[in-house]
Amino acid sequence: MEKYEKLEKVGEGTYGKVYKAKDKETGQLVALKKTRLEMDEEGVPPTALREVSLLQMLSQSLYIVRLLCVEHVDSKKEHGKPLLYLVFEYIDTDLKKFIDTYRKGPNPGPLPPSLVQSFLYQLCKGVAHCHSHGVLHRDLKPQNLLVDKEKGILKIADLGLGRAFTVPLKSYTHEIVTLWYRAPEVLLGSSHYSTGVDMWSVGCIFAEMARRQALFPGDSEFQQLLHIFRMMGTPTEKQWPGVSSLQDWHVYPHWEPQNLARAVPALEPDGLDLLSKMLKYDPAERISAKAALDHPFFDSLDKSQF
Amino acid sequence: MELDLENPLLSTFHDSIPSLFLIESDHMPSLPQSLKPTEFGLSIRREAMSLILHLSSNFNDPFLPYLSVNYLDRFLSAQPITQVKPWVVKLTAISCVCLALKMKETGYSVSDIQNDEGFIFDMETIERMELLILGALQWRMRSITPFSFINFFISLFKFKDPPLVQALKARATEIIFKAQNDIRLLEFRPSIIAASALLSASHELFPLQFPCFRKAISSCSYVNEENLVNCWNLMQEIAMDGYESVWEGVSSSNTPVNVLDIQFCSSSTTTISDSGKTKNTSSEAAAMAVAPVRLERDQKRTKIGCFPNDNSLLLPRIKQEKGPLEEKSVPRAIYS
Repeated sequence: MEKYEKLEKVGEGTYGKVYKAKDKETGQLVALKKTRLEMDEEGVPPTALREVSLLQMLSQSLYIVRLLCVEHVDSKKEHGKPLLYLVFEYIDTDLKKFIDTYRKGPNPGPLPPSLVQSFLYQLCKGVAHCHSHGVLHRDLKPQNLLVDKEKGILKIADLGLGRAFTVPLKSYTHEIVTLWYRAPEVLLGSSHYSTGVDMWSVGCIFAEMARRQALFPGDSEFQQLLHIFRMMGTPTEKQWPGVSSLQDWHVYPHWEPQNLARAVPALEPDGLDLLSKMLKYDPAERISAKAALDHPFFDSLDKSQF
Repeated sequence: MELDLENPLLSTFHDSIPSLFLIESDHMPSLPQSLKPTEFGLSIRREAMSLILHLSSNFNDPFLPYLSVNYLDRFLSAQPITQVKPWVVKLTAISCVCLALKMKETGYSVSDIQNDEGFIFDMETIERMELLILGALQWRMRSITPFSFINFFISLFKFKDPPLVQALKARATEIIFKAQNDIRLLEFRPSIIAASALLSASHELFPLQFPCFRKAISSCSYVNEENLVNCWNLMQEIAMDGYESVWEGVSSSNTPVNVLDIQFCSSSTTTISDSGKTKNTSSEAAAMAVAPVRLERDQKRTKIGCFPNDNSLLLPRIKQEKGPLEEKSVPRAIYS
């Protein structure tokens, strides 16, 4: 690790501290993600092995933050647990901060529609890449999407470690892990969820780019469900077969679905159609990332640049 | 999440093919082309390989030693063993098998393979070695191997008959396993090895369709023609190796190299007229058919120069190659 000079702590990722650092030799900026390897009696844990190597492979996509290398530090003398540094390319901002500049900056105003279109397309590209490789992200949110403002590039970060490193309920700073982008089937305790969970998050992020505000800002799992139900209507067995047999299903107040156009007035009809397909209650009916790329919403986008 | 060598990316078939070709070179030993392995390096590899085979013999899965040796080769090319201490080789071999077991999610672990006499490393030592190997391999443990490309290349052949596909795949798989022993193949990309193994297999099993297969593979934009020719020539030699015993009794003369030359040249003309290619491609095909002879000679020279102890390999090979030409009733005759 002597290769890198730590510059500053830039965040507390879900799985540990993240530092901005500089490669002393090349001057290249990198993001160092520090993770403790939970060694068991059989040496390097198989889950860590499989997850990190999967990450190595997925990060070949342009729409996934690039993992430059993996450095292992033997810290046996101090803590007894070896450290693993994942060295990623450094990208200066994330989508949350980026949206904030349009909300609270000196000149607040909507994000340019062409940018929303381009970011959503890149997000779907990245998600399609993960899904085609059998990997779910499970925690897509604006903080996990890195943005290169100059180049107009969006990349997915914090990927694939869901199994190697148990998902904590609270992050290191005791900030409660956000529920805003969590799919209803996860909130209702379904144990067999699939690619649809990521598409729900993509829908929430899409709406947030257009609104500059979260679509479903719940502060507990119960509140989160109520936020969703109030907007989308309380789900019925007809809409979503099997919903009432999910583990955490209760009897909820009956709400009628609201008009999405009122919640996201900045979106034109094609955008609203795509959004409503991403927010389908029945996960099996939800649009896939691959299909989303062909949606008419992207017809006016110059896809050759991607 | 289990690593399946035929599908390392866990992906839905054709989606991942371009990325496989893109990143396969990250999963190769980094042998500088000019640098031939030393005799010492070769003996280390041989010893480690036989240990790996021994350690994985209980698991009844040929992909396990294959993956372990893939790790071994990539590790040795990044961090050559220079010490002569025998435990270093043992520790390397055992750690490679441990890592492969974990990647394949077998549920077995070190304790299951360490029962053997002569292998007693404590967990901490193995763990350090695992981390050393992981570092050298940059944690790229989902190896892209020739097996990752087999189905893709077979799909180019547009076979209609599943049993034929099975037969072709089985023979190509056999050849790939065998080819791992030959250090000369380490310089070729996994996709090229897969394509060559399939060509060899189809050459043996379906000689009449061979020109079509050859054309299908050559026209694949991911395949470098020159590398394919070079690799295929080596592969043919390796593929024949198993038939050694069959041909041993048949011939004893050591003069047939010229006969072979003639046979290859004449057969190349048949190939061209059969497939009805354009002039341009037919000259390519001719080059392909003639090349083996020229190349083999070159290889013999290098072989003698670089592998002084391996001369013994030459004789049986000449014998086998002569076999099919003399014995007409042999089903495997190359151009029937």
